[in-house]
Amino acid sequence: MLFSSIPFLYYFLPAVMLLYFLVPKKLRNSVLFLSSMFFYAWGEPRYVWFMLFSITQGYLFGLLIERFQGQRLSKVFLTSTIAVSLGLLGYCKYANFFLENFHALTGVAVPVVKLALPIGISFYTFQIVSYTIDVYRGDVKAQRNYIHLAAYISMFPQLIAGPIVRYSDIDRELAERTTDWDKAAEGIRRFVIGLSKKILIANLLGELVAIFKASDEKSLLFYWVYAIAFSLHIYFDFSGYSDMAIGLGRIFGFHFPENFRYPFISGSITEFWRRWHISLGSWFRDYLYIPLGGNRVNRVKWVRNLFLVWMATGLWHGAEWNFVLWGLYFAVLLMLEKLFLLPILQKHKVFSHIYVLFLIVINFVIFDASGMTEVFAHLAGMFGLAGAPVLSPASVYYLRSFGCLILIAVIGATPLPKYLVEKVRGRKGGEKILAILEPVYLAALLIACTAFLIDGSFNPFLYFRF
Amino acid sequence: MSEKMKNRVIVVVSIVLVYGFLLWGIFQKDGSLSVSERRKLTQFPKLSVETVLSGEFMEKFDKYTLDQFPLRDLFRRVKAYTSFYVLRQKDNHDIYLQDGHAIKMEYPLNEKSIEHAADRFSYVYDKLLAGKVNNVYVSLIPDKNYFAAADAGYLSLNYDDFVGKLTDRMPYAEYLDLFPVLSLEDYYATDTHWRQEKLRQTAVFLAQEMGVTLSDSYTVKKAEVPFYGVYYGQSALPLPAEDIFYLEADWMQDCIVTDYETDRQMPFYTLEKLQGNDPYELFLGGPKSLISIENPNATTDKELIVFRDSFGSSLMPLLAEGYRKITLADIRYIQPDILAGFLQCEGADALFLYSTSVINHSETIK
Repeated sequence: MLFSSIPFLYYFLPAVMLLYFLVPKKLRNSVLFLSSMFFYAWGEPRYVWFMLFSITQGYLFGLLIERFQGQRLSKVFLTSTIAVSLGLLGYCKYANFFLENFHALTGVAVPVVKLALPIGISFYTFQIVSYTIDVYRGDVKAQRNYIHLAAYISMFPQLIAGPIVRYSDIDRELAERTTDWDKAAEGIRRFVIGLSKKILIANLLGELVAIFKASDEKSLLFYWVYAIAFSLHIYFDFSGYSDMAIGLGRIFGFHFPENFRYPFISGSITEFWRRWHISLGSWFRDYLYIPLGGNRVNRVKWVRNLFLVWMATGLWHGAEWNFVLWGLYFAVLLMLEKLFLLPILQKHKVFSHIYVLFLIVINFVIFDASGMTEVFAHLAGMFGLAGAPVLSPASVYYLRSFGCLILIAVIGATPLPKYLVEKVRGRKGGEKILAILEPVYLAALLIACTAFLIDGSFNPFLYFRF
Repeated sequence: MSEKMKNRVIVVVSIVLVYGFLLWGIFQKDGSLSVSERRKLTQFPKLSVETVLSGEFMEKFDKYTLDQFPLRDLFRRVKAYTSFYVLRQKDNHDIYLQDGHAIKMEYPLNEKSIEHAADRFSYVYDKLLAGKVNNVYVSLIPDKNYFAAADAGYLSLNYDDFVGKLTDRMPYAEYLDLFPVLSLEDYYATDTHWRQEKLRQTAVFLAQEMGVTLSDSYTVKKAEVPFYGVYYGQSALPLPAEDIFYLEADWMQDCIVTDYETDRQMPFYTLEKLQGNDPYELFLGGPKSLISIENPNATTDKELIVFRDSFGSSLMPLLAEGYRKITLADIRYIQPDILAGFLQCEGADALFLYSTSVINHSETIK
């Protein structure tokens, strides 16, 4: 089930809210767990058992790791649970990729695995792995209550698209949390804004991207319009989902970590990754990069660590070579910045922003491609090597038709709207004006989102299969 | 208003909206038809273990909630307004407003579709017409976008290219160019079709090119129903209703119109259809696979076989004056092979009369 759907907004969510706030507090995690199972089963009923198995093994191994803490067995159990978790993920997500490449390399025919990727498996697998590692490290205590742990791993607000909430983030809130009018309003505000980012901006930019891909009238202008539109599309899509998750969590009394902080205003790629998909970046930092030695090793090992981590990050997004290239592209940029670019970028502010935006747009073209052939075709088009004209009637028309939306998206991707609101708030009577306008604005956004949902069925979510 | 009060208002407004629409949706009677979109609405799906496990129930329930949402048409209108006036988009579902017309941006040119149509026409020619008919004609009816796109800055087909691609593959047919004869005013403002009362010159032109003279003398009748065309529903905008007119003449009274599907006679104008979903079906009863019009008082002894789409329904009553018999075949609804048993082609003329929008989406042509 998608957040940005009528069944979720007007059936599932109100029903769960009602149940959640009606039952005694001690049963609220059960409500969350069962409703999350229902939410998950709505999309793919077959894979509920798959997720339950993952949760159960994580729960049991967590207890065993803690029971034998400090002993060799503890490490054996940790290795086992990681092997099971990543084994399942690897089998579902990467088996075909490796088999196909094995076939391409050796010519040996191997049967492909006929298994659809379970929704959200990359997210919940990483949560289980981080939980068991944290238990092993003694950072958190193993959760004895199965429902509590299952509610944490399967919690529908963050189940299919993150952020990757660590157990330590909400450990205490699983046992005791409160909700009041202010928290609920904060959650609603965040949810509606996220919903609007997804439906009113990301989905429409997605339409432009689809139009570009279907068009036979590509031009230099169209390639760049597409590249910018896709970069904004993926930001609003993903950050919109994260906002919705954080907002829903807030309504239920949880504090989920922030996942995006205006990444497009970054002055370097290093900064970009502190602002983009923060929960994933920090996960790889804490559970792969640092255990490998991070940057406290000799230069060769550091480069190895960097490349390993970014190849893994690329592969996490998808089992295709363009995702590997996408990750390695970042590894190279981060390495160059660390070696000598950062001081230059810090001195030249305007250049640094142009540098980041240019490289990020290129990077997302790599990300969006359906394979390496398309990567090169699109990049060639962007740099005038595809033989396409500078302009085409289609590119001019769609730029005009989507120009206002792109402008709104560009402004919305910066802190400018927030700054303006704060400016108004700071003026005399500004607080009162905002107090009246905000509920109206949020209601109008919710109605507009509902209108767009009812009108169209175009509503794919990009991060489903990651 | 204090921060606390504002927060309470936000929560209460959200609850009212979400639970309000939930309850409204649950208690309102499900609709069966969307008048504006001219389609059946999805009904509550069958709930069973099988449909749940297969995911069929969920998929259909998603569609059901979209189709049965309270104030659905109003929400679609809100979306259209937001697209046009807030996001400043130039079209909504490829439909735009120009000179009081709702117009579909027919674009891009679908070469494969043109080839498919030409191939099917050639099949019909080889199978049914070759060696039997006197003359074969082909004529295309421009969609409304042809008239408006360039001035209004919208994308359109390259119509010269379009016509060339079709006619090049139909060397056996003489092309009759309707483009200069028609204008945007000849079409309904809210619909894709042309207006019969504006087709008199078009009919005269076509007949003349095929060697027939029409008297062009009719009585204009007005149908007493407001007409909302297909683009009215698709645009979701509050466009005004139009009048629908039809042309009558004395010679029509002796004509015999036969519907081969039912093997019954029918009138030129089926007035009951005015109360249906698509009042344009007034003309020759709407979608019919095979019809004949016999005119005992025709000005010639000629016969005409027309392969056509819905545009032909409103034009053919006018051409009937000059032909002893016109047979109309819609090969979107009947296989050409089946037609062999019904058509008498010897000595007749044949006309392929299609709109550009049908040829550009010709997958339904059999």
